[in-house]
Amino acid sequence: MDRRRAFWVLVVPPALWLAAFFLLPLVLMAVVSFRADLRGGLLTFPDLGLRQYAALASTPSFLRLLVLSSLVALAVAAVATASAYPVAYFLAFRAGRRAGVYLLLLMVPFWTSYLLRVMAWKLILGSSGVINSLLIASGVLDEPVSLFLYNRSAVGITLTYVWIPFAALPILAALQRIEPALMEAAFDLGATPLRRFLRVVLPLSLPGVLASFFMVFIPTVGEYVTPLLVGGSRGSLYGNIIQDFFTKAANWPLGSALSMVMLAMTLAWVALAARLVNLRQWLT
Amino acid sequence: MADVRRVGAAARSPAAPSGLGLYFFVLLLLLYLPIALLLLFSVNDNTTLTFPLRGLTGRWYAGVLAEPGLLRAARNSRVVAAGSSLVATLLGTMAALLVARFTFRAKLALVSLAVLPLIVPFVVLGASLLLLFSAAGIDRSLGTVGAAHTVISIPYVLLIVASRLAEFDPSLEEAAMDLGADYLTTLRRVVVPIIAPAVASAALVAFTVSFDEFALALFLAGRDPTFPVYLLGQLRFANRLPILISLAMVMTVGTLLLALAAERLRRAR
Amino acid sequence: MKRSRAARLWPMVLLSAAAALAACTPAPAEPGEVTGSLTVLDWAGYDASDFWIDFQQTYPNVTVSFEFGASDADIYTKMAAGDQADVFHPYTGWLQLYVDEGLVEEIDTSRLTNWDKVPDEMKAIGQFDGKQYFVPWDWGFTSVLYRTDVVEGEIDSWSALFDPAYAGKISMWDDGPGAVTVSSYIHGWDETQITDEQLEQIQQEWIEQRDLNLFYWAGEPELIEAMANGDVAVAYAWQGAYAVLLGQGVRVAYADPVEGRNSWVGVYGIRKGTENYDLALAFLALKLAEATGNNVVNLFYYGHANQDVMNAITDETLKQAFSIDDPSILERTNFTPNLTAEQRDAWTAMWAEVKAAP
Repeated sequence: MDRRRAFWVLVVPPALWLAAFFLLPLVLMAVVSFRADLRGGLLTFPDLGLRQYAALASTPSFLRLLVLSSLVALAVAAVATASAYPVAYFLAFRAGRRAGVYLLLLMVPFWTSYLLRVMAWKLILGSSGVINSLLIASGVLDEPVSLFLYNRSAVGITLTYVWIPFAALPILAALQRIEPALMEAAFDLGATPLRRFLRVVLPLSLPGVLASFFMVFIPTVGEYVTPLLVGGSRGSLYGNIIQDFFTKAANWPLGSALSMVMLAMTLAWVALAARLVNLRQWLT
Repeated sequence: MADVRRVGAAARSPAAPSGLGLYFFVLLLLLYLPIALLLLFSVNDNTTLTFPLRGLTGRWYAGVLAEPGLLRAARNSRVVAAGSSLVATLLGTMAALLVARFTFRAKLALVSLAVLPLIVPFVVLGASLLLLFSAAGIDRSLGTVGAAHTVISIPYVLLIVASRLAEFDPSLEEAAMDLGADYLTTLRRVVVPIIAPAVASAALVAFTVSFDEFALALFLAGRDPTFPVYLLGQLRFANRLPILISLAMVMTVGTLLLALAAERLRRAR
Repeated sequence: MKRSRAARLWPMVLLSAAAALAACTPAPAEPGEVTGSLTVLDWAGYDASDFWIDFQQTYPNVTVSFEFGASDADIYTKMAAGDQADVFHPYTGWLQLYVDEGLVEEIDTSRLTNWDKVPDEMKAIGQFDGKQYFVPWDWGFTSVLYRTDVVEGEIDSWSALFDPAYAGKISMWDDGPGAVTVSSYIHGWDETQITDEQLEQIQQEWIEQRDLNLFYWAGEPELIEAMANGDVAVAYAWQGAYAVLLGQGVRVAYADPVEGRNSWVGVYGIRKGTENYDLALAFLALKLAEATGNNVVNLFYYGHANQDVMNAITDETLKQAFSIDDPSILERTNFTPNLTAEQRDAWTAMWAEVKAAP
């Protein structure tokens, strides 16, 4: 088989699969978002219009929540990435032969049900939970405090905590690719460990850091499970609203319109980031 | 000429490693704290997750074996994860080869398409796939869940394998072809062995992504629920909770042992 | 040549036709010999054989498979999208939609054994235009559940959910129609005739209520835990939570509000166009039978439509939870009415805005 035939063999299956199970459903959803309701079946196209989008535009609290959810996602991604960096650094340069085992240990919690883990996490954060008990026992508090749970901060903290191990992976991959010779050269030239880190390691690992950041940021914008579990009355995020319209209200057209808006916004963020990355490459 | 040992010693300066190591282990501790709590409650003689503890009991673990629905759901998750990670690894690797080794006009489009699933929230993708399957008259099943999981795993596979491919010199392949191998043989004998570890990690990531995934599974599961979907449904019944926790613990410990064994094997080679 | 061959074939054709006809005539078979399959779209957990034990024992050769829905909206969407389940399990509030969209078969109640054991109020819930479309099965109350060791005195009104005295210790169910129901009870409005202005007011009140509300519960275990460890003292709750907490020794009471308790009923319907009508009917009839009913009550603390089963309850905790000793309770109970699609959309949108409000 020559390269030309190989090209077609390689391109057709993934393209077909993605077109069928990804593009097509999204197009269908876009169409549904232009409908008033689903009466008459799914594949009919009665009067299409922008009424759902109009309804969305005239509900400021939904749009505000979208912006808020993006900001929460931004914060979570930033903190998770920053917190994951030392983990990745440790595994890449300090753990030696045990790095593989440590990495596995890091990943195993992901094979326990997320729902159950967060339920248990609530036990730690709750008013009769571990944190409060410790603070009371050590005399810092007289009464249990409810600020660790059932609010938006709890959502942010829980999400960050859950993401750190995953965020470490792209950074680890980037760090492992740094030529040891570069590090040695820096040392030879008299750089202190700190300088070597700032001037050699960090810049070279930046693609991994960016990958990490976006890997956390993007799914978090649409997050809805964590707010349900620990967010309390005020912790709902945009994803909860979408979820509600699909699973509580059976209002697919409105849910689809909300989803399309979120999709557009996320694409905008990514496009912005792509611009920034190019800018950085141009600067360095 | 720097003494190699000195470089090594300086690299392991005393202050930093204990700091970093401590950080790592504290994090690990925090990660496992909920799991330790779950383990505790899986032997607690109470149906709610509250303190004080009420005494040890093994009946939840015994109960797991008596719950065919529960075990089937766990099996379903494994099947879907295995199937979808296999297909995703295959398709993602194909796409990675295209991205890293070929130039063609629609390359940007293909890459964007392959990476886009990362950007679409699962609730949106799940709902739209439900629309699609309903419109096409396809019944919901483990297969529909698997199809969705494949879609969301492809980006991870693509990124992991493509970055590995980007690292090593294509001239190796050119050399092989110059020596008379056709492209298929070159792939098989030269490229695949080199990218094999990356492909393996990609498969593992794809498996992990699918196994506990529940937003898509909730929309697309039919008669056979995956474990997270089953779990969510069971949460309506308060007194089922400990049995679910026990199974989750069995699965976690089992996976941990499997993974450690695999790591042992890998290092032994 | 051709004719003689054809002539020889005719007797064979006649014989085969006769045999086919004979096979077609429905011979009344013993239940134990009936084979076939049935698909049920139900909520997770109800596939346990405890909940259809009578059918399983009477028709051991029928294969029953289950599909799962995660919510009423999910079940409705699946049925509307053409799900092929023969039997499905929605709850009050959603039934009108199935009738309007022509998704259910009429139920031949003369073939339902145990139908006479179902109270008339429950039968009425599944009736539309004089026709029976649904068979009631599980039911329960909704009321205000509260910790007697935290709350002073008795709670006798739904307005307790809005009482600043319990700030930070209230938990409401995460449901828009549920919220509208509570508000309509408190204000004395007709639930089925909520105007736009009334809905606006309801929305505003629930937005303000967020300052008093700790979290919205989506499943009973969440609520039970929070009440058990004292995070929540007053909640909108079903009697299942009450029974579980009583059983754990937590000091709780289940209010009998002046506006009346609410009651919800789960029903089973048969999909329009199913080929398994007879089997489906038998399934529903046996769902009403005693052993199944006892399991529903004792294993999951839900009420059962079979009145004999309810009257036979001896467990003190359950008797308290269902107010068995108070025969007039059902008269003072408001059953959830059926919503139109517009109401459902408006009320869930209202709730989404409550959750999204700054």
